[in-house]
Amino acid sequence: MVVQVLADEGVDVIFGYSGGAILPTYDAIFVHNQDTTRRPMPLIVPANEQGAGFMAAGYARASGRVGVCVVTSGPGATNTVTPVRDCMADSIPVVVLCGQVPTSAIGSDAFQEAPVSALMGSVAKHVFLVTDPHKLEATIRTAFELARTGRPGPVVVDLPKDIQTWQGVFQGSGTLPIPGYRRRLQQVETQQLSPASIEEFFSLLGAAKRPLIYAGGGVINANATDSLRSFAHGLGIPVVTTLMAIGAVDTMHEHSMRMLGMHGAAFANYAVDDCDFLITLGARFDDRVAAVPARFAKNAVAIAHFDVDASEINKVKRVQFSYVGGLDDALRRLTAHALAVHFARDWSEWHRHCAQLAQTHRMNYDRESALIQPYYVIEELNRLTRGEAVISTGVGQHQMWAAQYFDFKSPRLWLTSGSMGTMGFGLPAAIGAQFARPDRIVIDIDGDASIRMNLGELETVTTYDLPVKIVVLNNFGDGMVKQWQKLFFKGRLSASDKSLHKKDFVKAAEADGFPWVRRLDRKEDVPRIVEEFIAFKGPAFLEVLIDPDAGVYPMVGPGQAYDEMITGDHIVSRGKGPTRPPGANEMF
Amino acid sequence: MRHIIAILLQNEAGALSRVANLFSTRGYNIESLAVAPTDDPTVSRLTLVTTGNDAVIAQIGSQLRKLIDVVDVMDLTEGAHFERELLLLKLKAKPSQLQALQELVAATMGHVLSNESHSFVIELTSSEAQVSRFLAQVAEYAEILEVVRSGALGIAH
Repeated sequence: MVVQVLADEGVDVIFGYSGGAILPTYDAIFVHNQDTTRRPMPLIVPANEQGAGFMAAGYARASGRVGVCVVTSGPGATNTVTPVRDCMADSIPVVVLCGQVPTSAIGSDAFQEAPVSALMGSVAKHVFLVTDPHKLEATIRTAFELARTGRPGPVVVDLPKDIQTWQGVFQGSGTLPIPGYRRRLQQVETQQLSPASIEEFFSLLGAAKRPLIYAGGGVINANATDSLRSFAHGLGIPVVTTLMAIGAVDTMHEHSMRMLGMHGAAFANYAVDDCDFLITLGARFDDRVAAVPARFAKNAVAIAHFDVDASEINKVKRVQFSYVGGLDDALRRLTAHALAVHFARDWSEWHRHCAQLAQTHRMNYDRESALIQPYYVIEELNRLTRGEAVISTGVGQHQMWAAQYFDFKSPRLWLTSGSMGTMGFGLPAAIGAQFARPDRIVIDIDGDASIRMNLGELETVTTYDLPVKIVVLNNFGDGMVKQWQKLFFKGRLSASDKSLHKKDFVKAAEADGFPWVRRLDRKEDVPRIVEEFIAFKGPAFLEVLIDPDAGVYPMVGPGQAYDEMITGDHIVSRGKGPTRPPGANEMF
Repeated sequence: MRHIIAILLQNEAGALSRVANLFSTRGYNIESLAVAPTDDPTVSRLTLVTTGNDAVIAQIGSQLRKLIDVVDVMDLTEGAHFERELLLLKLKAKPSQLQALQELVAATMGHVLSNESHSFVIELTSSEAQVSRFLAQVAEYAEILEVVRSGALGIAH
């Protein structure tokens, strides 16, 4: 019953780890896959259920389809709490099916029992505990509906063992009644920008001398990147993106001002400071972007905010124009209106200003250093992949370097744990993404500390012979933590220095059967080794010993505004730098 | 400011805890919460009293509307409405104050449900503010043994 709904939903791969309470469903998948008349659903087995969750997430992020993860009860379910919360925080559609002890044993502290409904209820978009087998089929179908509609998110279905073994007639259709959700969803989906709203928007835009688009992950979730490009490039409005929206516009486009925020490009942040009209699309002014909301976009006469989630409007920043509805449709209507009324403004002075900012405050680093600079490695990789590879990351310095120095021609190539910041995301996400995009080079740019978190998944890469490429930028520790400790804790490297660890990543990769493994420790070898690495057709593992003191710049310190941004020694600042030390209780 | 929020909620496993969780995880107050079935067997009605400025109350409404089981959310304090709370009170009267106590109960439209040797169970249905006032006054005439309040219920005109 469960497997048939998965097949009907078009599921073409399942990530999961078996166990007692989910055995009936695993058996049903086996039987399904033996039937040569049916489209198989390969079952990809991770080392740990957290890996399965992130594989499903990587698959969903890279494909736009719902990722599926099937795990057992108790520890199987609790190990997926982290990826479920990660998906919720980044609005990623996944369905997690958890085995549960039989209904008669629920609440008895049974073997491998965990309160999945209570745990997941706090972190997922929704959780179902199926207690009536007649509702099983409709529940699984509804889970997919909830995951992909509205603001997408993770949906968990807790499946007691006796519910899985129940035999009944397959209906082939039908969902659960969720009248409130569907009514609200329909309101949002049928919502159209009214002529009055369009007029109002264009009067703000028409009055602007320095308009700027601030695009967030919602643009990608809404599959609205084509309409964003038509609107922004058609009208000549420069675009900054959040970490989540990298690739929404081609980062190499003349009007791309790249990423804004705490570690955004200096020129992107200065453009935000300089704009007089900020058009916010599927973004939410979160603390990585607007640490001090009152001083964010401080010269903007007006801010417009388009989002599918009404709760994001005026949550952090008061705006002058807002619209709750589908982004794709809204952007199409705006573009159509602009064409119909021959809307045109001469923003050439603003364009020159942005180009000047991008030139003067460009990303840069110590190019003369004898040590391998991480930025250099990424530039060399980027020279070969040219904005077309799928890049996943862990969390920390390497994540920000990758966001800053890689180019992305299209959306769904950049996979990163944005809101939750989960170390260990990169490797399993790359595995999931390779299933979604077998045609693309998939590279996990990882750190030595992040990759440790799910290092067991190295084996998964070789088990399934995936051509995933893994780069470990090794700086012998938690680099971002060290950076903060140097800046704000007088250089006391509490528990973040791993230089005495005896870990040998090369041996680890070899032990897991990687056919191409290298350690790169000489600067002059970088171009050659990187080229060999990319050219290798199978699984490849590259450890790079980087300058352990390399930092992430620019950096907007905690509780500080963009004009207090630290740009480091190699990026030109136009601000005064921090005017005061950050408070100890600021966000980190 | 104080708001009475009525929530129609699907009768599903975990639905009530999701509402309660939302308030605790996002740091909103719940001053009282009353839950009971409605005429529709699939739907319960929650009446919740909370406090917050306009931005907080707007967020509470928006966040509640994101819960899948929530059918509808109404802020009763936005318009004309009736508000009632049920109080059940057990107390022991001081003999000298018996007369005054009985007059107070009658004046506030309360009912004496039982009277056993100066030990009373009293029922009062009134607004939350009236119930609180009554409790303060009655303490002058009697020793309060047990207070049972339903929390506010509300209905729009």
